[in-house]
Amino acid sequence: MNIVDLSRSAHGGLRIAADRIEATAAAQHLIPIVVSEFRKAAIQYPIVFAKNPETGRFAPYVLTGLTPEENLFWTGTELDVAYVPLNVRRQPFYVGGESALCVDLDSPCLDEAGTKLLVNADGSDSAHLQSVLAVLGELVAGRAPTEQFIASLLALDLLAPMLLDIVLDDGTPLKIQGLYGLDEDRFRQLPANELSGLWSGGRLDLIYAVLLAGGQIFNLIRLKNRRIALGRAWHGND
Amino acid sequence: MVSPVRSICIVGGGTAGWLTAGIIAARHRTDLQITLIESETIGIVGVGEGTWPTMRTTLKKIGISETEFFRQCNTSFKQGAKFARWTTGEPSDFYYHPLVLPEGFPSLDLAPFWTKYSEEHAQAPSFSNAVCYQEAVCELGLAPKLITSPEYAGIANYAYHLDAGRFASFIREHCVANLGVRHVVDEVTGVGRTEGGDIAYVETARSGRLSGDLFVDCSGFRALLLGQALEVPFVDCSDVLFIDRALAVQVPHENEQSNITPYTVSTAQKNGWVWDIGLQSRRGVGYVFSSKHTTTDAALGELRAYVGQEHDHLQPREIKITPGHRETFWKGNCVAVGLSGGFLEPLEASALVLIELSAEMISGLMPATRETMDIVARRFNETTRYRWDRIIDFLKLHYILSRRTDSAFWIDNRDPASIPASLREQMELWRYRAPGDQDFMSNSEMFPAASYQYVLFGMGFRMQTRGAGLERDPGSAQRAFAQNEALKVKWTRLLPKNRDLIDRIKEHGLQRI
Repeated sequence: MNIVDLSRSAHGGLRIAADRIEATAAAQHLIPIVVSEFRKAAIQYPIVFAKNPETGRFAPYVLTGLTPEENLFWTGTELDVAYVPLNVRRQPFYVGGESALCVDLDSPCLDEAGTKLLVNADGSDSAHLQSVLAVLGELVAGRAPTEQFIASLLALDLLAPMLLDIVLDDGTPLKIQGLYGLDEDRFRQLPANELSGLWSGGRLDLIYAVLLAGGQIFNLIRLKNRRIALGRAWHGND
Repeated sequence: MVSPVRSICIVGGGTAGWLTAGIIAARHRTDLQITLIESETIGIVGVGEGTWPTMRTTLKKIGISETEFFRQCNTSFKQGAKFARWTTGEPSDFYYHPLVLPEGFPSLDLAPFWTKYSEEHAQAPSFSNAVCYQEAVCELGLAPKLITSPEYAGIANYAYHLDAGRFASFIREHCVANLGVRHVVDEVTGVGRTEGGDIAYVETARSGRLSGDLFVDCSGFRALLLGQALEVPFVDCSDVLFIDRALAVQVPHENEQSNITPYTVSTAQKNGWVWDIGLQSRRGVGYVFSSKHTTTDAALGELRAYVGQEHDHLQPREIKITPGHRETFWKGNCVAVGLSGGFLEPLEASALVLIELSAEMISGLMPATRETMDIVARRFNETTRYRWDRIIDFLKLHYILSRRTDSAFWIDNRDPASIPASLREQMELWRYRAPGDQDFMSNSEMFPAASYQYVLFGMGFRMQTRGAGLERDPGSAQRAFAQNEALKVKWTRLLPKNRDLIDRIKEHGLQRI
């Protein structure tokens, strides 16, 4: 990683290889999201909570694999998904301190042969850069409401360690640790005044999105089983 | 007619008073009224700065956030003790008493396997290094957990170092704000008795008479109730444990970024030993010595040599201690917790853990009536006496294994007449087999058999391995030694520096789950 402030004059010649953006998520089993993405994410992925390894603070993520560094949606060329999280789409750009736009100069998405320009011939931002700025804007705007959502879950004691104990088709047992989910029993027992508080704060929708997205775990298991079966066929073991 | 127990009056507000209030209130706040009376003029002794891992459960149970505890009590992590120069006195002489049990213990006992290996190999690793990964973690100055570990959960077992003064006021705030403990700031001027000899009330300077059905004496060395009023005699243990003076001093860290040592260092000196406890903002250092073997001036010289010339301006505080304990701890309707019950040198941090265990036992056995109180008192006395005796044995163990000959202090400590019979018996048995759970069958044990192993083998004790069952399952021992090596590699790579984790906890907090 070599993240520097983006200068439209100094970095004006950079080109983005658009087909490599999704590849940055090829080896990620957790991708952080913000609350504005919950509904869209829920149609594709389980939404889980995990701790930031630097701060220990909780954040929401979509689960894309069943072991570390595994993304079951990665086909080898693209993510086979209906919704690509903002944190993938923004690559290789970041928001630095004081909201400065930054770029990772080491990113494989930067390539002289790339198809997307950053700056138009007249010096204005390219359509691609404008869309990246919109994505980053949504991420920045989503930070505070996401933290508030987590805080209200913690205040109501609604997060609990998630125990995923899966046996794959070939008999391999799989245990996933370090993930947290909604404590559905506690949620069902919340008194009416707490529920009404969640509803008026717009957080009830988010909770239901997380609960419904939980079912997507079956899709991940299906993809994992398929991957194993394909691997066996490839090795001629089947 | 029965007299129900409805109110508890705790006299004294140091660590003992407030921890006792918290522990009892956590269970009994709805059925008992708990009052704590604390003097404005009498300070706390506050040398108890090292805990056992039990403190994690205690704090959790009374509803305290571990994050807040780190933020407010100058707290740091403790992963056991490093004993330097205890065996031979050479500068390179040290061993660890870590808090993580030996790999596989107690179902697997690696001690005979290690003993045989080290007889056959000159360069064999130390016992604690061979069977436990924590020494490696400590030597690198690492913390026992990660910022993603929940509150009170560890990767390696851990305890705390804390600032006793801040700790007492931290627990006080919690007790008063959240646990309904009534706090009276006043001076006790007298003690009123009933016809039956119980304590009826304590007379105060401004608040009148404070009565109670049960009184807890947390008044420190003075033992205002149990010692002065009820005249329970003191059992002097200085014939076994010679330490009777402490010189305590607070030493600043080299700079704000200096790592904090994640274990207690205990360095043997000519006539005692020096404790060294790293807190966030300073170190607590003290020389405990025997006044029968040296003078305060000479001890001061040794302490100054230990802390270094740059700290010559610091003025150590002298504390006189009489090693020992009360003959009984609960008499009538009065029970002593903390220094009023007794005091021993802080070699294995037994002061705070005894407070926790005593308060826990009082809370658990809380008599419903005055009539049943004597039964509870008898049980409490039996258990507490047993605990003191085990602590005395374990402390003495450190001295009898020393081979130092540089002073009468060390030589006198090995005089068989100064060794309790219970310890002498154990030592006879351990010549032929390692300490095991079969040696510690009571429900009131203080130290696990593993602790005895760490001290015995750490100090070069040799046992005969013939008949130790080495041939029974050598494979599982091999696997356990290999597993320990794997854990060492893993955790020395993943655990953060002690200071780094404490800084992160203060900034971000630990999660409760």
